[in-house]
Amino acid sequence: MQSHGFLRTKEIASIVLIFVAIKFADSTPTLLSQKAQNGFWIIPAISFIVIFPSFLVMLYLLKKYEDKHVVQLCEAITGKWLGKLIGLVFFLFAFSSMVFDARNYIEQVKMLYFPESPTDYIFFIFIIVAFFGAKRGFEVIGYTSRIALPVIKFSALLVILLIWEEVVTERVFPVFGSGLSIIATEGIIKASIFAELFFVLIAYKATKETKMFRKGAIIASIIALAELLLFYFIYITVFDYNSIEKIAFPFHDIIQRIEFGEFFTNIETIFMVFWLFAAYLKFIYFLYFSAWFFGAVFNIDNFEPLLLPLAFLVILIGLLPYNSAQTQLVYHEQLYTLMSPFFIFLPFLLWFVAWLKGDLRT
Amino acid sequence: MRIFSRQQNNNSTVSEKKIIGSLSSNIREMKQLFSYDINKDFSLRTLTTRFNKREACIFYYGSIVDGERINLHIIKPLLENEGDEVSNIVSIENIEKIKEYEKVVQNINSGKAILFIDGDTDAYAMDVANFQHRTIPTSENESVVKGPQDAFTESLDNNISLIRKQIHNNQLINEGVQIGIRSHDEVNLLYLKDLVNQELLDNIRKRIKELEVDNVRNIELLEQYIEERPYSLIPTILYSEKPDKAASYIEDGYIVLLMESSSACLIVPVTFWSFFHSPEDRYLRFFYGNFTRTIRFICLILSLLVSAAFVAITNYHSEMLPPDLLLAITGSRERVPFPLIMEILLMEIAFELIREAGLRIPNPLGPTIGIVGALILGQAAVEANIISPIIVIIVALSGLSSFALADLSINYMVRLMRFIFIMCAGFWGMLSLTAAFFLFFMYAASIKSFGVPFFSPLSPHYISTKDTVFRQFIKKEKFRPGYIRPKDLQKKR
Repeated sequence: MQSHGFLRTKEIASIVLIFVAIKFADSTPTLLSQKAQNGFWIIPAISFIVIFPSFLVMLYLLKKYEDKHVVQLCEAITGKWLGKLIGLVFFLFAFSSMVFDARNYIEQVKMLYFPESPTDYIFFIFIIVAFFGAKRGFEVIGYTSRIALPVIKFSALLVILLIWEEVVTERVFPVFGSGLSIIATEGIIKASIFAELFFVLIAYKATKETKMFRKGAIIASIIALAELLLFYFIYITVFDYNSIEKIAFPFHDIIQRIEFGEFFTNIETIFMVFWLFAAYLKFIYFLYFSAWFFGAVFNIDNFEPLLLPLAFLVILIGLLPYNSAQTQLVYHEQLYTLMSPFFIFLPFLLWFVAWLKGDLRT
Repeated sequence: MRIFSRQQNNNSTVSEKKIIGSLSSNIREMKQLFSYDINKDFSLRTLTTRFNKREACIFYYGSIVDGERINLHIIKPLLENEGDEVSNIVSIENIEKIKEYEKVVQNINSGKAILFIDGDTDAYAMDVANFQHRTIPTSENESVVKGPQDAFTESLDNNISLIRKQIHNNQLINEGVQIGIRSHDEVNLLYLKDLVNQELLDNIRKRIKELEVDNVRNIELLEQYIEERPYSLIPTILYSEKPDKAASYIEDGYIVLLMESSSACLIVPVTFWSFFHSPEDRYLRFFYGNFTRTIRFICLILSLLVSAAFVAITNYHSEMLPPDLLLAITGSRERVPFPLIMEILLMEIAFELIREAGLRIPNPLGPTIGIVGALILGQAAVEANIISPIIVIIVALSGLSSFALADLSINYMVRLMRFIFIMCAGFWGMLSLTAAFFLFFMYAASIKSFGVPFFSPLSPHYISTKDTVFRQFIKKEKFRPGYIRPKDLQKKR
């Protein structure tokens, strides 16, 4: 870890914001809309309500056990072996999320912009960028996110402004889509769309003061939720319930509809550039955090050499499934279902054990 | 060890010897040290002093001293005046007693006259240096419309005087650090003692002292000796010929390096913004200055990316172009045999060619060749169907924009990166262009100049004047840049 205490609130907030909020621009909305139809835009709110207390408990525990990141925290509470095991689960979740997402993102780029290019080549470019980016170290990742964030968010804002004339607010009805109970269960099962919040916890010690980390993470997660809700709302009001579940990449569909005046009618490539910035950053985070979890579990202090083998593994495993619909709609959904109870209950369990041990009293 | 032994061989005869009481043996020693019989401008003048009636001898390099002053202020007083010791007789402002031959050699090389007196074990070094140099010129490479026009010249004293003229402060220190093993050059560090960060100062001193080189003639070479990443495309030391720029940096707590024979200074440490800014931005009023900054920022982006983006869009994302424009481009390319990326590269190289040749060409020929170059490469190449007219526009745009980036180092960086971006755009269009730009950006963010991150104070954040892409209203600038950790952060109380 090459932290010299250069990172502040803004850097951590940018990382969390890009990491979580990019879910409005991939096929997560499609995944959510399969059962919930046009009520799916409420799902993130429910998920957030379910999972955010757990996140806060985790932050509380990290605050109590000073100078520890999340794996060290688990070790301190549950003992060495069980702690390592939990760390390993964290690693597996982070890594498999990366693999499934990577395939999904690559298919997006391929289908929409490079239909004739082989998937493996684009995969290669993506992961090479993620590898070299991650190789620069966590502080540089932080700076880059901080500087890139305004540009990325400005382009998102531009998308909203330009698509606004196509929004038909009446399409929001029926508000709960195919039913409140379905939305509620979906919201709880898919609570792990916010799993990235927990992956970021490995960087708990990277900021100048840990208070900055907590502040940045909490603020950014709330803004990210707002962004997700806003964009999901736009999707259902632009596409309506019938088409939304059939559209694989709503964000790209939206930017293809955008016109900038009469003269510039196809400006999706401009937004694609900023989307790519965010996507590259997302995989840099994933790769770096995976390596970090792995290093924390297996006591490898200098974990950055692990980036290359992990990057290579991502390409190998990512290319295995037959197509991206399979990875996204089947594997990734199963992963979400698996991760949700883990992230919802683990913090409370840890808190309970810590409370029993009496660590929290001081 | 090899260097150590060589150093000993060089100086063993000189360093140990001391000046003795006998004038004739001192003269013999000096003649041998400076090869008097073949060294034509090494001069000596013997005389008998009036005050103690002894033989004396003055040594100096005729080419680097002021003969008039030797005559008027050393020889004449020694011949005519009475007194008890040399310092009370000669009327020269700077006189120093020395005992070793090593010092004698050093002093003569730096333009001093050395006086030996029979029976005296001290020699007297008197400053009569008169190195030739230009007068103070107007700044040509960093020209401004509004603001001081003078530039550094190849004389250390003049340069320091130009800086002292702007900073009337007794805390402004001019510290000399010796450099070089064979010839003893001196690097002068200028800084404000009550502001500069001590760690940074020690770091720079250490880097200069640790250099094991025969000699470093000027600042331009020194820059390459002390920088951290010699193979990086991104510069980490600022080079400037403007005293007002140097003074403004000193006032913020930076360190300025000067050497005798350079008409410029080095400023450390730097950030991206130091290369991006021009002193004129601050001399202009708030809106005018920021307007200039906006234009310069657009120029930076255009110069880096316009050719590459053109390649990417026309090759891979042609649906982006409005149909009329697309037809115009394809129409103009109809009879051109090369692929588009080839055209762009050809033209970019041609542009660099004109630029380089234009620099080296003797002055009287310059304009003629410039016109021929532009005509042949522009007009004729289009008519011969080697390139399409739109390429000329694109390349001219990117070439012209690069001139707005006044700093030479950043200019080279942009011009080199442009080629890399064009290549990348040729592979996978916007995907690989974005990738290349992104990685370049991350690399730049990871650069540190003497411990200062390249994009601070933007990220990592520091207390500062917030002078990044845009500057603030000048009365609102309350702090010095926090990233160089000055001793006093606050500008105004």
